Amino acid sequence: MNRRGFLQLIGATGAAALTASCNRINSVVGTSSTPDLVRFPEKTEMILLTDRPPQLETPLHYFRQDLTPNEAFFVRWHLEGIPTSVDLRTFRLNVSGHVRQPLQLSVDDLHSQFEPFSIVAVNQCSGNSRSFFEPRVPGGQWKHGAVGNAKWTGVPLKSILDRAQVKPGAVDVSFNGLDAPPLPSVADFVKALSIDHARDGEVMVAYAMNDQALPMVNGFPIRLVVPGWYGTYWVKALSDITVLPQAFSNFWTDKAYRIPSGPNGTESPKDLAKDTIPINRFNARSIFVRPEPDETLHAGIPNEIEGVAFDSGHGIKRVEVSTDGGGTWTDARLDPELGKYSWRRWRASWTPKNRGQYRLMARATNAIGETQSQGQWNRSGFMWNVISQVDVKVG
Amino acid sequence: MTPTIKIVLSLGLAAFVAGCGRPSNVSNDADHSIANANMESMLDSKPDNPVHSIVMPHDEPPFPPGPGRDEFVTACVVCHSPRYITMQPRFSHATWLSEVKKMKDVYGAHISDEEVLKITDYLVSINGKADSGQAPKGTYGE
Repeated sequence: MNRRGFLQLIGATGAAALTASCNRINSVVGTSSTPDLVRFPEKTEMILLTDRPPQLETPLHYFRQDLTPNEAFFVRWHLEGIPTSVDLRTFRLNVSGHVRQPLQLSVDDLHSQFEPFSIVAVNQCSGNSRSFFEPRVPGGQWKHGAVGNAKWTGVPLKSILDRAQVKPGAVDVSFNGLDAPPLPSVADFVKALSIDHARDGEVMVAYAMNDQALPMVNGFPIRLVVPGWYGTYWVKALSDITVLPQAFSNFWTDKAYRIPSGPNGTESPKDLAKDTIPINRFNARSIFVRPEPDETLHAGIPNEIEGVAFDSGHGIKRVEVSTDGGGTWTDARLDPELGKYSWRRWRASWTPKNRGQYRLMARATNAIGETQSQGQWNRSGFMWNVISQVDVKVG
Repeated sequence: MTPTIKIVLSLGLAAFVAGCGRPSNVSNDADHSIANANMESMLDSKPDNPVHSIVMPHDEPPFPPGPGRDEFVTACVVCHSPRYITMQPRFSHATWLSEVKKMKDVYGAHISDEEVLKITDYLVSINGKADSGQAPKGTYGE
């Protein structure tokens, strides 16, 4: 049961008295300099942004693995009423709207009636790295860990839509999950894709990540996977697919998750963009995995530098590394590609001659020449892809 | 939410109550404790169990007394954790005001205009900074 139900059941006063006697996260307002670590059901220790609804960030060291473990994969919900119990005997994925044959599919049906389809793909929160924007902007104060790479297995959305027999004239397809708003005035979290995108054969309904069932807080029993697009479209605990003969419209697409229409979603704090569009494909970026910030390296011997880089599916073709604050750049070695929507690992070896403080930088470029930005800002803190940097000490 | 989902009331309540007063299994660091000592036992041990349930941990960080605290606790925490405040950097009055107004005007928080100001003052008192004159306006979603 969820907390909201509990409060409704016994009343706020009773709940307060009860929780007062429980163990709980001991945070002190305004004084926290180190992140709180927390362990949610089916998850390992993760960085706690918020607990209700949960927003959990992946500790950087998990990115030393090509596939992010399910237990460490980042979590981000919008609405207080998140699903905490699912009965697979009664759960159905409802496909309706502008179709000839509405469907009610169980998870068993998805397993048994369709060819399994797998894809390795990065899922990244629109606001990943938000805490690095200056001036700071309100929202989830993520560092670089609102991202993960997983092998997703399930059914291409196209196969499901074909089974439902989409009628001519379909425009959009909307996706709703089991989460529910805490007040009637809060818009339910529903997202949509164009019918062409929905039928591209890559957008999929996943019942497994890394060959295991999804953790509840990552969208059990099924979630939408939209390769190359920001996580806001990857609707969790997916329960309703609706084909529409007109453009979809709601708060979460008309007002939220919009970016300035100009290059790389950038605008000036002093001159906010007038035209905005829905956030969509990933830009190209890299993340330093090793060394971690403030790590101490050693002079006179090779130090291994490592990171990941990804884009929206064109493929990372080059990563350059600088160890002198951007003065000179050398090519990093790239690991083999794991798929066009996967991230790609890069490595370099660095032998600093002298002790001291250094700023390491990394710049990824994809197959169509998209690269990382020199500077970037938008009011929502979306799409961070400034050239990566990490400050380290050589001792 | 669809009616196909059952909230397992009795099970969840039992686990919630049982979780209280027991030692945390989570972290050796006292700053990181959380009451999910019994969360793991709530998970289905058999993969073929058709009902999959978890119990969410809870977080009640202490908030310092001050004008507007009661309004904050009553109006804000019903929909989201107070960590939505504490995870933010120190924002100016203008930015916090924009955030609180958004809660009222966009999300329909049940607060009067007077309470908007009281809550804003409280947020500034616990996590604010002087106005810079160019406060970034809040936004929607993330």
